[in-house]
Amino acid sequence: MSEFPYHWDADELVSRRELLQFAVYTSGTLFAATTLLALLGLIRSQERHDVRPIARVGEVPEGEALYFRYPDPDDEAVLLHLPGGRFVAYSQKCTHLSCSVYYQPEHTRLFCPCHNGIFNPLTGDPVAGPPQRRLPQIILRQEGDLLYAVGQVP
Amino acid sequence: MVRPEPPPPPGQTPVVLAALTIGVLLMGIQLWLLTVALDLYLAGQPREIWRLAAVSGLIFLGGLLMLRLLRRRPRIQRQ
Repeated sequence: MSEFPYHWDADELVSRRELLQFAVYTSGTLFAATTLLALLGLIRSQERHDVRPIARVGEVPEGEALYFRYPDPDDEAVLLHLPGGRFVAYSQKCTHLSCSVYYQPEHTRLFCPCHNGIFNPLTGDPVAGPPQRRLPQIILRQEGDLLYAVGQVP
Repeated sequence: MVRPEPPPPPGQTPVVLAALTIGVLLMGIQLWLLTVALDLYLAGQPREIWRLAAVSGLIFLGGLLMLRLLRRRPRIQRQ
């Protein structure tokens, strides 16, 4: 009796209760992580980006692309002069695993060479491959013949 | 010498087991909510995440309440 002081039922009860307690603590951690994401999202949505000139309209012929960096010096982006004369710009970071996407004018698509992800250049929406989310769009403003990047929509 | 725990009140072991089973299932739901929240965060839709956090918080509060209820030991009248 002295070697095994625990009653069998009591031993089972303790282990189950401890497991339940651990489960509740884990539940609290998951709740905290979800709340943290909500807070980070709130902070990110209030960020303001610089207004920066990208290029002159004539520098990018119709159907061609210009690669630049926005909003930070490490953030690669692409400016597209779509057939029809419209300009759009997107982050080059693929929404799958952050490889750089490139414009392929012969196929009129944005292509990620890492996992063959394809995006629609008109909207930035994923068309094929593993990406599930659209490319972050860079808001453009034209003043005279200068194109400015004024913000980013995730 | 460690004092032995008292035996569980009659009928409480199944209650603990049931709470554990439901708790693990709800924890799975919380994990799923977290993945959806991460997806929304990356997609730039932070407003939707607050709802997910609220549901996750309710599950957590339910777990705390269950723990509190199970700590109460009913008086047993023996004849």
